[in-house]
Amino acid sequence: MVLAIVTICLFCPWIAPRDPYEIGASEPFLGPNKTNWFGTDDLGRDLLSRILYGGRITILVAIAATVIALIIGTAWGLAAGVRRGWLDEALMRTADATMAIPQILFGLVCISAVGASVISLPIVVGFLLSPTTARMARSAVVTELSSQYVVAAQASGFTRTRLIWSEVMPNIAPQLLVQLSINAAAAVMLEATLSFIGLGIQPPNASWGTLMLQGYAKIWNTYWFVAFPALAVTITILAFNAYGERIRKNLDSRKSTVNE
Amino acid sequence: MLRYLVRRAISSVAVLVISVLLVFLAIRILPGDPVLAKLGAATEVTPEALALMRKEAGLDRPLLSQLLSWVANALQGDLGTSYFSQFKVTELVVNRLPVTFELTFFIILFAAIFSLILAPLSVRKPGGALDRAIGYFTSIGLSIPGFVIGIVLILVFSLKFQILPSRGFTPLTESVKENLQLMILPSITGGLTATPYLVRYLRASMLEIKQSPFIRTAEGKGLSGSRIMFRHILPNSLVPALTMLGLIVGYTLSGVVVIEYMFGLPGIGSLAIESAFKRDYAVIQGVALTIITLFIVTTFLFDLLCGLVDPRLRMNKEEKLEA
Repeated sequence: MVLAIVTICLFCPWIAPRDPYEIGASEPFLGPNKTNWFGTDDLGRDLLSRILYGGRITILVAIAATVIALIIGTAWGLAAGVRRGWLDEALMRTADATMAIPQILFGLVCISAVGASVISLPIVVGFLLSPTTARMARSAVVTELSSQYVVAAQASGFTRTRLIWSEVMPNIAPQLLVQLSINAAAAVMLEATLSFIGLGIQPPNASWGTLMLQGYAKIWNTYWFVAFPALAVTITILAFNAYGERIRKNLDSRKSTVNE
Repeated sequence: MLRYLVRRAISSVAVLVISVLLVFLAIRILPGDPVLAKLGAATEVTPEALALMRKEAGLDRPLLSQLLSWVANALQGDLGTSYFSQFKVTELVVNRLPVTFELTFFIILFAAIFSLILAPLSVRKPGGALDRAIGYFTSIGLSIPGFVIGIVLILVFSLKFQILPSRGFTPLTESVKENLQLMILPSITGGLTATPYLVRYLRASMLEIKQSPFIRTAEGKGLSGSRIMFRHILPNSLVPALTMLGLIVGYTLSGVVVIEYMFGLPGIGSLAIESAFKRDYAVIQGVALTIITLFIVTTFLFDLLCGLVDPRLRMNKEEKLEA
């Protein structure tokens, strides 16, 4: 499901039936019909094509943000988990503090400072998601470090760098994958929310959030306009969450069989 | 108890200090000049005029001294003056707070009602059809952005049945009826967003209580199922759920940002968005400080409340802290 959504959105130029930027191609505010499956928007643009192209922006922003969050968060968590002591304390308190700032609010602050663009949005969203990733990475690292194979590796004279890269990292990778999936869902939601309040992707480009904002303004004319992008966002987030949940379940069942 | 209280207070203050620092630094370090933003790109500005305006706004001083004077003023309740209008930030925030508080109150009320209905239903037969249905509902609920729920509600109640208004605000002092009518949709939107978290948590803690010996005793005495549920299981599982409720109150205070904006309610959330559009950093900073403080204070108070209500919790936490 995740794969299908990502593929469809990334290859939208070949899939989209019409030009998403062509104004007045059809009558405005058409409901779903044979030529425009999802209807048209206030300027007569084909909504299905706009959603597909919007999906590309949304998905790209989400992927970039997720990667950024993963890099910052893992480094953050590794540093805290491996070093422990005062550094651990300082890093984790900072993570707590960052999490105490409501994400939307912090996003507002950053976006209003740097302006909204396809570049700034993933960076801001990625940064917002990194503290949770850091917390998770830290707890995973700490658990791994206390396990027996680490003691064995230490005894056989592994350096710390080698220990982390060749022993600990592969073992926490599945947990990071779960976090990756959850982060992707959160990134889609954050991007949509920021765009919906007008501080995300700016027209004429449009992510799903931007489309919903435009559709919401025209909710009295037609409800298709806002309903389809909303549906797209929800399904995508649901898919990412469900994917994360499934990996976690597999992980748990594997763990329990190992323990037995 | 005192020791627990002091420790908890210290860590709250630490979190507050760090987060305030972060907000302050984010605004200063990130590119984007409030003075330029104020003048706009249309007019040609001489460097002298720019420097003068910076000086007036105090932006030419070293970061540390800016930070210290801002914090010192904030402690006295003065959050500075808006860069655009000549209003005091404190005044702007205080004027808007009642709306946000009212909305938050109703959101929590709805969330509590929904979860108190759903969680017991779910626990009655764990793994049963109803439990699984509620499980799906919560998973889906966790994946829907709050404003999408709002859109759906508007489509159904304002467009289809035309029974509730979708935008606007009447102060409580002018007309109670109109005020409440306008509050219904935003509150349900927020309530539905918070419900899945609360249901999950409540369900887990009720299931745990259900295993305990005193429930077996109650069953053995021949009490009816509903009596066990509502007199024994539910009250005992409410205490752990209180912590969660504290967190939710905190999140709701920030989650109202979007809800206020989409329903056109003049609370601090929409103030934040308006000033973000205008790049009015003085106001954003003030609003951020207010919301963060509220968040930290509520979670702290709820933790205290839990400690007061349930001594067992207090003991555990102290032991954990000392370990």
